[in-house]
Amino acid sequence: MSWQYKLTSFAGAAAVATMMSGTFLTPATAEEIVLKMAVPDWPPTRIMKDMFDKQYKAPSGNTVKLEIDFIPWPDFYTRVNASLTSGEQKYNMAVSDSQWLGAFVEGGYFRKINDLIDADPALKAAMDDMHENVRNAYSTYPHKTANFYGFPQFPDVLVTFARKDILCNEEEQKNFQAKFNKKLPCTGEELDDLDWEMFENIGQFFQRKKGENLAGKPADDDFYGIAYQAGKGYDFSSMQINGFIWQNGGNTWDETQAPKGQAEGVVNSPEAVAALDHYLKLIQYMPPVAKTGTMDIFKSDELFREGKVALNVDWIGLGEASLSPETSKVSDKLVFGQAPGTRGADGKMIRWNNIGGQPFVLMTWNTDTQNKEAVDFVKWWLSKPVQTEYASKGGQSAMKSVYSDPNYVTYRPWNRAWAPSLDWQKDVWHVPQFFELLTQQQDQFDLAITGKQDAKTTLDNVAKFQQNLLTEAGLIAP
Amino acid sequence: MTSVALSPPAPDFKTIAPDNWKLAIVVGLVVSVLATLILPANAAFWVVGAMAAMVAASFVVNAYRRHYYGGLLVSPAIAVLFVMNIFPLVWSLGLSFFAYQSNQQNIRFVGLRNYQQLLTNDLKAPELWANLTNTAMFVVLTVAAQMIVGFLLAVLFAKQFPLRKYLLILVLTPMMLSVVAVGVFFSYYYDPTFGLISQVIKAWGGEQFILMSNKTGAVAGIVFADAWMWSPFVMLLVLAGLVSVPKYLYEAAAIDRVSGWRRFWTITFPYIRGLLMLALLFRTIEAFKMADLVILLTKGGNDTMTISYHVIRIANEQNKTSEGAALSYLLLFVVIVLTNLYLYIANRRSQGA
Repeated sequence: MSWQYKLTSFAGAAAVATMMSGTFLTPATAEEIVLKMAVPDWPPTRIMKDMFDKQYKAPSGNTVKLEIDFIPWPDFYTRVNASLTSGEQKYNMAVSDSQWLGAFVEGGYFRKINDLIDADPALKAAMDDMHENVRNAYSTYPHKTANFYGFPQFPDVLVTFARKDILCNEEEQKNFQAKFNKKLPCTGEELDDLDWEMFENIGQFFQRKKGENLAGKPADDDFYGIAYQAGKGYDFSSMQINGFIWQNGGNTWDETQAPKGQAEGVVNSPEAVAALDHYLKLIQYMPPVAKTGTMDIFKSDELFREGKVALNVDWIGLGEASLSPETSKVSDKLVFGQAPGTRGADGKMIRWNNIGGQPFVLMTWNTDTQNKEAVDFVKWWLSKPVQTEYASKGGQSAMKSVYSDPNYVTYRPWNRAWAPSLDWQKDVWHVPQFFELLTQQQDQFDLAITGKQDAKTTLDNVAKFQQNLLTEAGLIAP
Repeated sequence: MTSVALSPPAPDFKTIAPDNWKLAIVVGLVVSVLATLILPANAAFWVVGAMAAMVAASFVVNAYRRHYYGGLLVSPAIAVLFVMNIFPLVWSLGLSFFAYQSNQQNIRFVGLRNYQQLLTNDLKAPELWANLTNTAMFVVLTVAAQMIVGFLLAVLFAKQFPLRKYLLILVLTPMMLSVVAVGVFFSYYYDPTFGLISQVIKAWGGEQFILMSNKTGAVAGIVFADAWMWSPFVMLLVLAGLVSVPKYLYEAAAIDRVSGWRRFWTITFPYIRGLLMLALLFRTIEAFKMADLVILLTKGGNDTMTISYHVIRIANEQNKTSEGAALSYLLLFVVIVLTNLYLYIANRRSQGA
């Protein structure tokens, strides 16, 4: 416990005392409650703040203010982590990446919310209405148990961003058919049927130098067919590679099997190695920045918006910028589909992917009043009209009653891919060792992406490290 | 007026007086040890803090009564130094002997295990060594680049020429920019699709140029950005030395028809040597701590991880506070040894001269 904390709590006590003495002097009015919240700075949270400010009236009659710190994504973990572990107790709520739950629950920062849900039928109904995969990923710790910690704030999945003007061009269609004897996907439905093999074909097909013919015109710059995340930062390759591994029948270390589940033999299984090989093989067709290990989710999105690639697999959360002519050169040429999958032996698509998006959480140091107001706010947030409006403004909802509405697909062009994708979402590592697991894995994947080591060595190293770390932590029985 | 005669005699050891600092130390020590043993850590922390404050107060009162005004005047500085510098240093040294993570509530004494792990564990030790060699490489390359470019710039700007004043301001600008801005600027500069370098090379008929795709390129990129930013700093120091050389020495040398090379070694160099050494020391220490540009340009990819970035990861991102503290102390040891070596050589040189 730091001396700063003591000082602030002393100052806080003094402030409360002053306020209380104030209430004796002035006639009692509605209280003003401030909820401080740390969130990443992007459209899904900006839209929430905007809706809150314009619409929210607390049912208690109090004036509730949402004071939000908008933190840029690349610094988000570091800032929230520093605030929580320093003991400054600055925030009452935070948007938390799903994988942080273990670390911050064990640290004693995130409050268990089972009692709040059980005490409130409306809230319970809202949580029950949530898609099971989303609820498991965002709310539960240990993973897939009935211990709840988070309310969904913005659920997210990977989708395929694509260029209609390029893909639907007749000449390109004809040439593609001639070369691969397949139809180049052009509509949303055709993109839904996109597997990694076709994805690779498109990558091979669209490798145009500046000045070469591209959809009937000379290309104004080098042009590429495909892109996905392959960056060293945060989780900017794992989130794609996990999908490859699961689709190929491999697995990541399964926290629900602890302490029996192993890392060695699972993480570096032949299926997983083949999957990583497949992921690495496609990088040669991507914009050359992928070879430097800095093509993260923002870079591939930027390349797509600047009109340098035909297909990009990225999070819906980043999609808003591609629709606006101010930030996108391709805003009027877009078509979206589900993220590519792997075709199984029976010809059916296997689409396992890592879930994105975030829950919000309450802190353990909140007062009862703050918790009450926070729960009211969450209830408002998870009410059907608000979720529907949020979706119509560019957010997403994981509530069945909201996303199964026929209008839902009309809100945003990618919404048609939303509901079918949800059934194929998994998540990794809600354990406290999450960040160690992640940084080591990202380092190793980066070595593979930049061509320093092969898939087998990479996954062997990852498996060895995980086995060692998790055994030490007691999550794998020796 | 003799203040010494007026100051009261020191109080007897056993009397309770505000200026009895010897008694205060003994009481403070006894109470601190008892509090640490008996009270829970939270309360003991504040008791020990209060005891330290009491001893400090007795020193101050004693100094006031004995008229040690010199000591009184420096005491605020000492207090700040203690609170902001020495206390955290000792505290983190203590932490390095425990198993403690800032996001977990339990703490356990493990002695030298953290150090032992860092130096001998077959996963951690090679990583530490690789990061140290990378750091050494960056120190040598960036400091050499900055010293050479900075020195040449200073020689250039020591002469008078048209627009010198304005060019000087331009050359100094990189130093004043935020590192983050420089990092983002250079990451675009090196980008194979959007970047200027790649575009220029492509315009000459070549392929897209991917600078950061291997270790040599990535290191070159980081060293160039760092040299671009910090060469002006070296230039500024050297320039100050160059303009301080008295003109009459050069005039005398001209009369004696001394060669340009010799004029430099016997007149100019002795004047700038001290400043050059200072620039070298500053830049070496800074380069040893380099993490910002690496984070912004490569995130440690292509084997460019430096030791500082490694510490940031362990201590801040992975919350392994104790391990981070132990690692920091190993680094501190390295820096102290290096600095002392440097000072030893510098002193011997100046005595020899």
